[in-house]
Amino acid sequence: MARPRKVFYRRRKVCKFCADKIDYVDFKDVKLLQQFIPERSKILPRRISGTCARHQRLLQQAIKRARHLALIPFTTD
Amino acid sequence: MRTYELVFVVDPRVSDEDVVAMTQEYKQMITAGGSQVSKEESWGRRKLAYPIAKLNEGKYVLLGIESEGGKSSLPEVEHRMRQNDKILRYLTVRTDEDLKRAASRHPKTAGRAGESPAGLAADATTAAGPGGSSAAAAAGEV
Repeated sequence: MARPRKVFYRRRKVCKFCADKIDYVDFKDVKLLQQFIPERSKILPRRISGTCARHQRLLQQAIKRARHLALIPFTTD
Repeated sequence: MRTYELVFVVDPRVSDEDVVAMTQEYKQMITAGGSQVSKEESWGRRKLAYPIAKLNEGKYVLLGIESEGGKSSLPEVEHRMRQNDKILRYLTVRTDEDLKRAASRHPKTAGRAGESPAGLAADATTAAGPGGSSAAAAAGEV
């Protein structure tokens, strides 16, 4: 009963910050932060973006700071 | 030594000269408190991501501050900003610890960590004229 096995490769996600060696996530870097805020302006979860825990923490902080200064939105209505 | 970054957003109806004057005043307060202003950037007029006080734009100013531990006039500066209704938002962030931590992780690439991203730092001196600030805003919006 050998069921044909579906073969598909999932591309391994890598943390963008580790790959680019960014160790300080700057809240002023709107272009960088924007990559992690999808349409509804929520913070993209790690499970989707592949960001490592350390960098997700830094990213989260940076996004919240940027939101306070109205550099990026809290939400899109 | 502690380093801070102080960003504040001014009502766009305030003229560029007045923004410069205000910035000057805050800088004086900072230096009077025994700290140095190491960096000053004006991002000019920028669109806000959401309206604040029914305004859709704001003028952004960034100050980099260096102070020896202990005394600092930053709480006082923040207090004054809170009371100034021409200032829509302000944010002070202490950066030395995070930058040091970042530098120890990748010593080779650490140099760029403290620099401003290219899109925002259009004019790194004081607030430029109307032409300069609109160029800065355009560059930052993309």
